[in-house]
Amino acid sequence: MTYLLHIAIMANLYILLVLAANLPAGRVGLLSLCQAAFYGIGAYLAAFFLIQFQLPFVMVAGAVMLAAALVSLLVSYASIKLKGDYFVLATLGFQMLVFTLLYNWISVTRGPYGISGIPGVQLFGWGFGKLSGVGGYFVFSTVLSVAAATLFVHLKRSPFGSLTQAVRDDETALAALGRNPDRIKFQSFFISAAFSALAGLLYASYIGYIDPTSFTLDESIFILSALFIGGVGNVAGPVAGALFVVILPEVLRFVGLPDAVAANLRQIIYGLALVLTMFLRPQGLFGEAEVAK
Amino acid sequence: MLLQFVINGLITGILYSLAAVGFAIAYNTTHVFHIAAAAVYTAAAYCFFFAVRTVGMPVWAAAGVALAFAAALNLACEVAVYRPLNQRKAAHSVVMIASIGVLAVILNLVAMLFGNETKIIDNTIQPAIRWGSLILSRPQAFQLGLGIAALAAFAVFLRFTSFGLKARAFGNDPALFALFGFGDASTRMGAYAIGGVFLGAASCLSAYDVGMSPHSGMPVLINALVAMIIGGIGRFTACIAGGILLGILQALAVWRFAANWQPAVTFSLLLVFLFFRPQGLFGYKKRIV
Repeated sequence: MTYLLHIAIMANLYILLVLAANLPAGRVGLLSLCQAAFYGIGAYLAAFFLIQFQLPFVMVAGAVMLAAALVSLLVSYASIKLKGDYFVLATLGFQMLVFTLLYNWISVTRGPYGISGIPGVQLFGWGFGKLSGVGGYFVFSTVLSVAAATLFVHLKRSPFGSLTQAVRDDETALAALGRNPDRIKFQSFFISAAFSALAGLLYASYIGYIDPTSFTLDESIFILSALFIGGVGNVAGPVAGALFVVILPEVLRFVGLPDAVAANLRQIIYGLALVLTMFLRPQGLFGEAEVAK
Repeated sequence: MLLQFVINGLITGILYSLAAVGFAIAYNTTHVFHIAAAAVYTAAAYCFFFAVRTVGMPVWAAAGVALAFAAALNLACEVAVYRPLNQRKAAHSVVMIASIGVLAVILNLVAMLFGNETKIIDNTIQPAIRWGSLILSRPQAFQLGLGIAALAAFAVFLRFTSFGLKARAFGNDPALFALFGFGDASTRMGAYAIGGVFLGAASCLSAYDVGMSPHSGMPVLINALVAMIIGGIGRFTACIAGGILLGILQALAVWRFAANWQPAVTFSLLLVFLFFRPQGLFGYKKRIV
């Protein structure tokens, strides 16, 4: 039971991450390779706030999400200034810079040693409603992911949702109609970074230990893979993608392969799924939008 | 001491240049963001390893086999994935994501066959070449000599053969190129085959020196991308200068600061170029679409 709950928590975590990645990549059409950087920034800041001050959840989440969203200004500036592959390369550079900082700035982040002993989230602060054990985190993470999914459904239906879609489909036409595409890119990265950071907070407090290797370029690519296999543009796609990448390794575990082979086989399946999706259904299994140029 | 760092940086830079040329010849002609080049690079090193250690071929023959294998694998990516997607008029990012998938498949196949640990080709200690206070190991001397020869051959090839002209023309305007009655399929395939040879060359030269692991390809590709941006996208030979400059700057960063901050220098350089000089040092100035 604990095992199943753990998988459910990880699924909720990835639902948050992939939903957040869907906003710039799926709705606005900006392929960013730095989602794991925001995830990492969220996790490290959360560790700092949880260890130093025992603030209630709402305050920690607010601080972490706001901080990551402010850092995202750098990326949205790049998205306004650069197009196509140049933007992808800029996000790659940003991802690598954040990782280098987390890894080498040992006096602040403890570098490769990681940060251990991160206390659980306290819903009301100062010891009240302290979460511990998988049961508590299962309820908590489910509430968060359902809330996030609801929010993203609303965002999609809202005027803002139509605007993001307009940027993806025809930026020039949108500008000609008197809307500011730059502002929409900026807003979508702001929201995306905030929710990635929220996933980071969940991860740090649930696992209790973080180190930079959880927030690499590979993790960014993994999140994007989940998004593109599941589908882009709507909410069902990202949720399906997150469930796929979290549940597949567990299924392979029961097939009884040795661990080393299973890890590689899993990656091969993800890779093949990605190539096949791009051939047969570029919008992803449950997605609705075409992947943007 | 400083000179030694510069020479080491130059050699690293030549390896980046080779990889960057391998990526750029395909990128500048077909505009495919061929991330799977990292997997071709890795697979070439393992083919080299297999030919030397398991089959027992002499090193030069094994290197030839590895280069042919790299060319074939790069070509296979084009024929099996990029060309069909291109024919379906797939969006640019769709091709790139498919390339990420190909990368994952090839890298993990290599890891399954050979294991995740680092492998070395030649574990004997080889005599170093001393020249005053400079020390050059034998693999380094190979990298310097063969690397410069390969890059020079590339520059000459591109300038003076009809394929070179076709590749440049195709990169410039594919529609116009087809309008003049040239076959785009053969030009694309040629670009990938030659690109594979250069990726393989970079890979074998590096593997002969420091060995290989399934994870060694991606960092090289990323450095090659930075080299390409520094040199300038769209110009085939510019990435040679970019690679050498990047290698020397990284060596100076190690000399001045510390080795662990080297990536920070690399990626700050990337961002500075992207924001302030996106056409690179020698690229054509044009509006980025």
